[in-house]
Amino acid sequence: MKILVVEDDKTVGEYVRRGLDEAGYHAELVGDGDQGLRLATGGHFDLLVLDLRLPKLSGIEVLRTLRDRGNGLPVLVLTAQDAVDFKVQALRMGADDYVTKPFAFEELLARVEALGRRPKSITPPVLKVADLALDTGSRAVTRGGRAIELTPKEYAVLEYLMRHQGRVMSRTLITEYAWDYHFDPGTNIVDVVITRLRKKIDHGREPKLIHTVRGVGYVVRP
Amino acid sequence: MESIRGRLTLWYATALILSLAVFAVVLYFARRSASYQDLDRRIQSEADLTAGILAESYRARGILVEPDTAGRPVLIGEVAAVLEVVPDYLVLTSRDGRLLFASPDARALTFAEFERLTALVARTPPGGSRVPGQHNLRPNGPTLHYVIREIPQAGGQFGALFAGADTRSAELGLQQLVSTILVAFVIGLVPAVLVGRWLAGRALEPVDHMITEVREITDGRTLHRRLAVPMVKDELARLAETLNQMMTRLERSFAALRRFTADASHELKTPLTVVRAGVERAITRPDVPQETLAALEETLQEVNRMTELLDSLLTLARADEGRAELHREPVDLRAIVAEAGETGDLLADHAGVAIEIRTPPQPVVLAVDRSRVRQLILNLIENAVKYTPRGGNVSVRLGGDNGQVVLTVADSGIGIAPGDLPHIFDRFWRADSARTRTGERPGAGLGLAISKWIAEAHGGAIEVQSRPGRGTTFTVTFPRGDA
Repeated sequence: MKILVVEDDKTVGEYVRRGLDEAGYHAELVGDGDQGLRLATGGHFDLLVLDLRLPKLSGIEVLRTLRDRGNGLPVLVLTAQDAVDFKVQALRMGADDYVTKPFAFEELLARVEALGRRPKSITPPVLKVADLALDTGSRAVTRGGRAIELTPKEYAVLEYLMRHQGRVMSRTLITEYAWDYHFDPGTNIVDVVITRLRKKIDHGREPKLIHTVRGVGYVVRP
Repeated sequence: MESIRGRLTLWYATALILSLAVFAVVLYFARRSASYQDLDRRIQSEADLTAGILAESYRARGILVEPDTAGRPVLIGEVAAVLEVVPDYLVLTSRDGRLLFASPDARALTFAEFERLTALVARTPPGGSRVPGQHNLRPNGPTLHYVIREIPQAGGQFGALFAGADTRSAELGLQQLVSTILVAFVIGLVPAVLVGRWLAGRALEPVDHMITEVREITDGRTLHRRLAVPMVKDELARLAETLNQMMTRLERSFAALRRFTADASHELKTPLTVVRAGVERAITRPDVPQETLAALEETLQEVNRMTELLDSLLTLARADEGRAELHREPVDLRAIVAEAGETGDLLADHAGVAIEIRTPPQPVVLAVDRSRVRQLILNLIENAVKYTPRGGNVSVRLGGDNGQVVLTVADSGIGIAPGDLPHIFDRFWRADSARTRTGERPGAGLGLAISKWIAEAHGGAIEVQSRPGRGTTFTVTFPRGDA
């Protein structure tokens, strides 16, 4: 899937482009609205990631022109404005979704994924680590065949860690994912969730699957 | 009186009553003086007439006094018959003070009154009193105006002639005058007050108009409006101009604020995005040493904290401008409370505090901004947990009646000092840092300010009750009518 990124800030743009590339997309970056509109109407892209504040032609104008020409290319808007009316305006102009700066890449990726209607097969529906299994479809979790009841936050934290199994995930990243990217409880609330998860998943079983990395976060590995 | 209009009407009515009263008093006394002059002229002419008759009779007959059957001297019958027709009080005495004649009115007096009348005549020195006097035949008799004179033309047969008239005849006219004035007062006052009220209303109409216009200018979006300045350069025109100038200044500062918030969003968030992007890329790389990871994690936390602070500031700045809008949709509040409740449960667990969450069995559907209300509930729960010592408890309750939805977050914590209570919803306000649990970083002091804004933006309200050492209860109410 080819994605066009229109972002005037080079660092942010480059980060998004490279991140999308690493996630298996083909991303291209341009720095102004004029160029963005020209490329977007060319028909070579499947998705447009559009910053709203652009030189030459603003993001809103690019969006409006695109929709006026009857172009139905999915558009994900990047905005520094978190005001609801601004978002509503962008959605009314025909944007499909938005991400507020500064964003967690995970969030951007999730929204790109949703808009790109990427076949689900790329992410296996059932995540597995040793004898622990998590079904992302039915949200059922089992260890050694025995069902484990999880609360929504416990499920979200476990899912996140299992998606990135073998990698150390920071507390902040975990919190952002489980709390909708917009909640900073100020305390290490993730620690409490992990304690509860350990009780349900690792207690009395071997091998232990959830590991602490001091000062950073947690990792799930066999 | 609450309005200027009422006061003006009151003043107008008072001034009218006062001038009418002065007029009435002057009229009364002028009329009274005229009446008494008439009365005095009447008794003078009656005295003149009687003296004339007696003088004439003396010239014709000579002797005018004769003894009656009992031997007492009286005025002769023919003359007495003529004097009978003279009205009012007429008394004639002999030189030695004997009563010779009394008119019918005088004879109608009681004995005591009559005695007093004759005593008055007897007291009069020779020569009489040409100036009218006044005498009251108390207790119940009439008050008389009178003259007493000698009648030298009658050959010295008479002592004194008393002619008097009851002042009641003069007072009667005055009483009529007073009642006429009173009736005119009442009839005249009501329409006069109404006209006064109307005039005051008309004079103040432009002010009312201005009030309506100014009231419609509620926030940043309506601030470009100006009042219409009347053509005539009177006080009201100057007032309108002054208000307009003030609004121009306000609009300018609002515009500056708006520019700032828009710029701040962009100028501050873009670098934050860059920092975040770098940290995120580094932290998710597989081969990073743990020490570096810890540093990156701390940086990430700070970026988030700054982002949140910035968002809070911008939200409040936009709220001040009236531009912070809500994205309302019907939501079952129980779901939001349950979701926030899970987080609250985790926070409470971490802090060693018991938490209880109660929601009603039936749905509580309200048109609210889901993420804002969640933020509000989380803020309150977080706050409650933060200020409750280990072993305490927090209770979250959703309820209400047909009119409103009530959410309470109560804790058994350290409470808020009475002196601090009025300030807790102020921006950047923080209680003594000693209050927070040790080792915990205090917040920026915007949470409750934002909570208050969220409650009020939904047409609701937030209240706090607290007793130091006993606990604090926050109560949020949302009107159901807005749903």
